[in-house]
Amino acid sequence: MKERSIWERIADNLRSRSIWMLHYCTGCGAVELPPSMTSRFDMERFGIAPMATPRQADILLITGYLNTKTLRRVIYTYEQMPDPKYVVGFGSCTINGGIYFDSYATVNRLDYYIPVDVYIAGCMPRPEAILEAFNYLMEKIRKGEADGWKRYRENYEWYKQNQIRSLGEVYVHDEFHE
Amino acid sequence: MTNSMSDALKTLEVFRPEVEEIDEREVKLSVAPDRVIAVLETLKSLGYSHLSLMTCIDWIEDSQFELVYILFSWKDGGKFIVTTRIDRNNPQFVTVKEIWPVARFYEREIHEFFGVKFSGNEDMKPLFLELWDDKPPLRKDFDPLEYSRRKFPGREYQKDVIDEAKKIFRGEING
Amino acid sequence: MGETKLFFGPNHPGMHGNFSVHMYVEGDIVKKARPVPGFLHRGFEKLMERRYWYSNISLIPRICVPEPDINEICYAMAIEKIAKVEVPERAQWIRMIVLELARIANHIWTVGGIGGPLGLYTASHWGVADRDRILDIFEALSGARVYHMYIIPGGVRKNMTPKIEEMIWKTLDYIESRLPDYENLIFKNRIVHSRLRGRLILTREQAVEMGVTGVGLRATGVEYDIRKVDPYLFYDRVEFEVPTATDGDAFSRVYLKFKEIPQSIKIIRQALEKMPQADRVNVPIGRGNGLRRIVPKGMAYAHVESTRGEYGFFVVSDGKNKPYRVAVRGASYPQGLYGIEKYLPGTRIEDVPIWLATMDVCAPEIDR
Repeated sequence: MKERSIWERIADNLRSRSIWMLHYCTGCGAVELPPSMTSRFDMERFGIAPMATPRQADILLITGYLNTKTLRRVIYTYEQMPDPKYVVGFGSCTINGGIYFDSYATVNRLDYYIPVDVYIAGCMPRPEAILEAFNYLMEKIRKGEADGWKRYRENYEWYKQNQIRSLGEVYVHDEFHE
Repeated sequence: MTNSMSDALKTLEVFRPEVEEIDEREVKLSVAPDRVIAVLETLKSLGYSHLSLMTCIDWIEDSQFELVYILFSWKDGGKFIVTTRIDRNNPQFVTVKEIWPVARFYEREIHEFFGVKFSGNEDMKPLFLELWDDKPPLRKDFDPLEYSRRKFPGREYQKDVIDEAKKIFRGEING
Repeated sequence: MGETKLFFGPNHPGMHGNFSVHMYVEGDIVKKARPVPGFLHRGFEKLMERRYWYSNISLIPRICVPEPDINEICYAMAIEKIAKVEVPERAQWIRMIVLELARIANHIWTVGGIGGPLGLYTASHWGVADRDRILDIFEALSGARVYHMYIIPGGVRKNMTPKIEEMIWKTLDYIESRLPDYENLIFKNRIVHSRLRGRLILTREQAVEMGVTGVGLRATGVEYDIRKVDPYLFYDRVEFEVPTATDGDAFSRVYLKFKEIPQSIKIIRQALEKMPQADRVNVPIGRGNGLRRIVPKGMAYAHVESTRGEYGFFVVSDGKNKPYRVAVRGASYPQGLYGIEKYLPGTRIEDVPIWLATMDVCAPEIDR
């Protein structure tokens, strides 16, 4: 790992205190997100707020399993986010397939398609576990270890090869034009 | 069964169905494929006007598909399960979308998952699966575990000797 | 002015879940619309054929995410119809209490959730916070907040202790004291009236032709509720009313959901008083030993009245220790697929999330 310059260290310290999360509920874990955003398990006191467009978001939160259809849109969204960006894998379906390990429509391991920084175990994880995972991610950013976006840029061919092998093609077709 | 269900069955004696009673308000009828549309229209005019579900069962040993229509009446709460059997090697049937317009989507889904063609319904694009390249998934001769291992590689763990020995002595669990 | 193509896609803050609508718009009016489901498809009907009868209990709650108890009760009732099992009386009362608590939680979430498309965020914060109190009861009863896995074929998993009953009494009093605040905030608000009154009207013929059940049908004036027409569990032994309205527009649908909450509170109070004290709350099904049971041959269909409409399971068994075929009837299947193609052209763009929120199109139960 390269040594960071003083400007990068200050920038990482400031970045970690204001992470904006993309508001995209990809799976069934999204039903525990509103309780952790509202006043009982307050997430906004750490500076984490939901954001509508991917062009201004820092974190992509993959809540649960991923269908092949959703994975194409998630790859589009991930490539639309500007650097530096972080990915959090939520639930045990992102780790090894979870309870749908033998399904013909869900992927088994998220690491092969986009790089992941932090995993949260559980099915489903409690709001306290989500907050602890965000704190762990903030520590990683301050130390300079959350470098998933750098890995994606360096190993781009390997990620693309895995995506094409599992999905066929990543292009999203138009519903009215066929 | 309730009184109105027995009256309805008397009207349907003409079509010679096989009747089986499951519960106090639930009766199963099996009819031949060329009489199903007439049975459904008669039942709809007798008050069983709500189509709850339309689905298909794959009997691979008999080499037949069984189409199932479940009708419900809001007046007295009775349910009729109307079933019919068609051939598995060349499956086709007639659409019911003139009787119930929502059946268009049920038939599109059955075509996607079982491969049954419905004449009269031209809207047969895939609904849930995108760029599917294998045989229809809900048939009994499709193995999803092998498909999942081939296309979506999983996480490799280090093999634990004691765990593997236990598995060999017990046999495989859950396929 | 020509027509523009718009993807009201899965990644959108106004979208209810993971669902997509592709449409052609001209100015502000929608000309053609097409629903695109399938983002949450996991192949449940194939997965359930590969596990034992009791192992399916861990898969079943995940089909309908906001209200997981209706999945468990439909699966259990269908197996009990095939295997002709007699469930103990205390277990049926406990099942009724769990179902009505889930109904209150989901109604509060949806009535508060109307604040999302409208911009009234106070309502959604209140809704989420009050739902958390009911999730605390579920956590004390079954060990998990969202997916309980508590109702099994043959009864319920564990007995309900007196401490939990006391917790339920207190929570019901608290929720009843909060209902006037909701009414003042949402239903006496001028902006909500101008956004929702008179929009997206469905007449009775349109609703019956589409196959809509639940609040969408009761807002047109008929009292069609499965708990009264085809009673299951012990709904014929308690007294409650079914509220209806005559307008058929978006405002009356949301108001009907709000008016069903006091009726559910009444049912739970009567059930807590009529429940007998017993020790045994579950019986084994079928033959066999241990947890690998064998259910006799047959097929059955069991349905309940969920917050969205009629929700049902169709189970086929051929005498082995795994199911042969399980088919799920999602409650929002007609209004999510056929309704969007037929009734959205002619409305404005800002009415599309209102349709998805008031007709309660829930994507996981359409996709399975």
